[in-house]
This record gives sequence, structure tokens and C-alpha cells, in this order.
Amino acid sequence: MTTPTLDRCEEALGRLARGDMSAFEELVKEHQSMVFSITYHYLHDRSLAEDAAQDVFLRLYQNLASIVSSKHLVFWLRKVACQRALDMARRLPKAPPVSLEDINEPAAESADADPLLSEGLRRMVASLPENARAVVILRYQEELELAEIARILDIPLNTVKSRLERSLGILREKLGRWSGGFAR
Amino acid sequence: MNPWEESLREALRRKVAPEGFADRVLARIRGLPVREKRPWFRAFLARPALRWAAAVLCLAIAGSVAYREQQQRQRRQGEIARMQVKQALRIASVKLNAARRMVQQVNQGTVQNRL
Repeated sequence: MTTPTLDRCEEALGRLARGDMSAFEELVKEHQSMVFSITYHYLHDRSLAEDAAQDVFLRLYQNLASIVSSKHLVFWLRKVACQRALDMARRLPKAPPVSLEDINEPAAESADADPLLSEGLRRMVASLPENARAVVILRYQEELELAEIARILDIPLNTVKSRLERSLGILREKLGRWSGGFAR
Repeated sequence: MNPWEESLREALRRKVAPEGFADRVLARIRGLPVREKRPWFRAFLARPALRWAAAVLCLAIAGSVAYREQQQRQRRQGEIARMQVKQALRIASVKLNAARRMVQQVNQGTVQNRL
């Protein structure tokens, strides 16, 4: 997260503390992409992801008093987004295993370098074990250090490492089967 | 990061939130039920220990009121009994005076007759 963004958030938090509720809208707009992306990559369903992301901001609104700084806000949002996505995923019926036929033709205007591969990877990430999914998303979407991921998920660093290694192993294997050796 | 991880990073790049997302969040917030402000005594009674203490206090007050009522009733009954005794004594006194006068009259008559 860049310094101007953090400064803007700090300023918005200050205004919120003084009772200016328009600052909350600014905070939502500033962080909606991050929160929605975490829930979307976790659930791989836009509608469910939006519901989960909205819930995260509702909880933020109810817990504004506990937020002490813009860095704490980002940490809190990532943590609650992972928790909310996990809660929602646990209530969903088990997703069937991913196969090549399941993956739709990518949209022509997709920004991905290889849209088919990206869509396949996203589906594979969403089919990882629930506990491991958050580690992969925080590592590759948010590009966080493993220690920071451990802090957000409130698990030991070694658990983060093992979950990440296991997840990457699963993804490599699935991708290998899917693309006939692309990952090797 | 190896090329494979680079593909993963590319696939998990942040998405743009759906159009109107912030508006929908704010609409849901406006629709949030306002947390009802509970009267102080309900907040007070929400704690079990305080609930017991309040019950004991109520019982003590009720007991004290009942005791005072009983004391007052007894005092009133005593007062009535005292007045009844005084009235009885007054009546007895009047009767005794009348009897004494009659006895005196009788005695005076007897003496005159002798003379």
C-alpha cells in the first residue's frame, strides 16, 4: 500500500473520529477492491463474494472505534475478509473437482496475459482446502510476507509455510494434469 | 518468484469491485437497525448478581413495609382497647357515684326516722 493512500486513509479516519460519516464512503472506495478480491478469489463467485465483502464493511462500520490507524485498518480488513470468506465457504456445498470442461471461454477484453490459464488457476485456488486458500491469496494477491500472513490468520509461521508449500504442490499437480506439463 | 508463481500472481491480481459496490454498502448501513438504547435499569438487571441483589433488596423493603404495617395495626388496636377501658372506668365511676349517693340518702333517711 502506497504512502499517499495511507495518508488519505489516515485523514479519512481522523474525519470519521470527528463524526464525518462521508469519510467512511471514502474508506470503502479505497479498500473495496482489496476486500472484494480476497472474497472473490476465496469463493470464486461474484455474487457471494460481493455479499461477503459487504459484510466485511458492515462489520468495519460497527467496529470503527477499534481501528487505531490506516495500517491497522488494512490489517483488520484483510483478516475479517478472510474470516468472512471462510465462514461463507463452509456453508456452501462442496465444489466439484475442477476440470478443463468447467472453464469457460475467457472474455475477449480480459486483462490477463493468458486468460484461460488465469481462470483455470483462480478456479484451482478456490478449490484448495479452506485453510490453505487464504494463505495463497494473501501471498499472491496481496503479496504479503509469510510472517504478515501468519499475523493476519493468527497461525504459526511454520504452519503458513507448510500450507503454502502444500497448496503450491496441489496447484502444480492440478495444473500439470490440466495443461499437460505447463507447470514443469 | 519463478514463472509459474508469476502466473499465479497474475491470476490472483486484485479485481475491480462491482459497479455501485460502495453505494450498496452504504445503503445496507443506513438500513442497519439502530441499536436501541436500553433504560439504565435494564442494563443494571442484565447482570445476574445485580439481579439477585435487586430481588433481595425488594424482599427486604417489602418485609420492612409489612412489619411497619403490622406494628401500626397493633398500636391502633392498643389505642382502641385503652379508650374502651377508660370509657368503661368512666361508666363504672358514674355508676359507683350514683350508688354512693343512694346509699348516703338511705342512711340519712334511717337516721331521721330514728330521731
